[in-house]
Amino acid sequence: MVVLLDDQRMSKIRGTGLEEHIKYMFGGELRLLEVKVSEELKDKILQEFDTARVDSRGAITDVPVAFMRELFNQVAEKKSLGSDVVEAVLAKVDEIKKAAEKESEYLPPPEIE
Amino acid sequence: MSRFLIQRPLPHGGRLVERVITDKEAAKKMIKGCPSYDIKPTLHYETGVPVRNVYREIMSICYGFFSPVEGSMKQAEVERILKERRLLNEWIFPYPLVFDISEEDYKQLGVGPGDRLVLNLKGKPFAILDIEEVWRIDNPEELAHLTFGTPERNPEVVREPFNKKHPGWVIYRSLQPVVLAGKYTIINEPKFRSPFDRFWYPPRKSREEFDRRGWRTVINHQTRNVPHVGHEFLMKCAAFTGDVEPCHGILVNAVIGVKRRGDYPDEAIVEGHEAVNKGGYIKPERHLPTIVLWDMRYGNPLESLLHGIIRQNMGCTHHMFGRDHAAVGEYYDKWATQILWTKGIPSYGFPAPPTDVPYGLDIRPQNMREFSYCPTCKEMAYSETCGHKREKLSGSFLRGMVAEGVQPPSIIMRPEVYKVIVKWWKHFGYPFCNEKYVVNKEKELEVDLEDL
Repeated sequence: MVVLLDDQRMSKIRGTGLEEHIKYMFGGELRLLEVKVSEELKDKILQEFDTARVDSRGAITDVPVAFMRELFNQVAEKKSLGSDVVEAVLAKVDEIKKAAEKESEYLPPPEIE
Repeated sequence: MSRFLIQRPLPHGGRLVERVITDKEAAKKMIKGCPSYDIKPTLHYETGVPVRNVYREIMSICYGFFSPVEGSMKQAEVERILKERRLLNEWIFPYPLVFDISEEDYKQLGVGPGDRLVLNLKGKPFAILDIEEVWRIDNPEELAHLTFGTPERNPEVVREPFNKKHPGWVIYRSLQPVVLAGKYTIINEPKFRSPFDRFWYPPRKSREEFDRRGWRTVINHQTRNVPHVGHEFLMKCAAFTGDVEPCHGILVNAVIGVKRRGDYPDEAIVEGHEAVNKGGYIKPERHLPTIVLWDMRYGNPLESLLHGIIRQNMGCTHHMFGRDHAAVGEYYDKWATQILWTKGIPSYGFPAPPTDVPYGLDIRPQNMREFSYCPTCKEMAYSETCGHKREKLSGSFLRGMVAEGVQPPSIIMRPEVYKVIVKWWKHFGYPFCNEKYVVNKEKELEVDLEDL
């Protein structure tokens, strides 16, 4: 799974050792971390979230935003990109689903110029 | 004049169908004393969610997008389409199109062949249906299977049996049993609401617009998505086909109809394409975003056939087709559309491409592969020419980025396009179609009607 990094997220992982795993895409314009997901965990994610799917790049996408936010929180907390991160996120699946219900009605738009 | 110059094709069937009465007094006389029926959306046979509104078909038929089709099809015509993908007048056509109602409504109306039925939309007279035949759909599930095919009957391209997860199959499965067949005529022209009004170019108007712009060759880009830079490069590079020079115009034709959860709103799709030319990424003089009303059947090669018909009727000389054209899930081979347009699909009635069979199409296919970012070339690169490892552009990946509130880099989505997404996000409180959007859209539709 892909965790996107904006400036705010970068500040939270500074000094954790994760910085050396940052990958750059699209000419360096996009920073991201890749979290490993085992086959077993992939199936569990697809089973828990009916919108989730594997995209043409082989990444799991279309999970709730709450899932992605928790994924970053766990990456920063555990300073890891391994399966333990996804396991920790799935341990909060009920909480994430509750948040996802509200997400299907409203998502705050970003403030852009 | 060079013998290599390509001329604009005639409409499919030889002439443009135009069945719109603009004289209100004449329209009033035409409907005097006629029974009327309020158009109802087709509801999902299990969930009751709207999956289709026949008003969109009536619009597309009467304004000529589906020429030579003129109305709701008779039983013999539907049977021929399911067998050979041909109308009774021989011209090729992919799908049955019918005006279906329930047994209760049929009994209540008490109409039959020879009667004229007034069709109301949003409480106002909208069109008439001159009934020529009444027939019944005995088994909608069988109709749905016959419409799309099966792995056994269509082994060239069908990979999985169709089922209730396929939105097109659901439309046919959800049809009501009584079909009133006959020609439609619009008697009260609907007015498109903003922003759709400025993208409405029915075939006569689009052909006139091409003349005005001096476009002899025009390539169509089919869309139901907000454009990312991969789409932009497809358009730009596909346009290098043409004849002795690249195509004069790129027509973007967005299919507007029932939405699925997770799609971008139609408003963002049309304005997103417009933002590409307003931002100068493709000159406005060479680029025209437009709409057609249709509840997508997601029939991949069959849908591409309908797209070819629509865009030939609009006056296009070329049509670009990519991977998984108008597809959902993995029901079809991902290159099924390109197989149809290069070799034909005998089991669907095409032993040769639709451009090489009698009563076929004249629009030229431009089969394209994919564009993605190449970090070595440091530019968007074509999969069939770039020899480096590239970074794929995925619509789902972009949607995830948007949902998280992260602005995509301009190398994959133009900032002007992102601004359009955020504009409609603020309007609807959500960046994509959610249940509220889908339900409201089917209530409000894209049009309003005045009193007749």
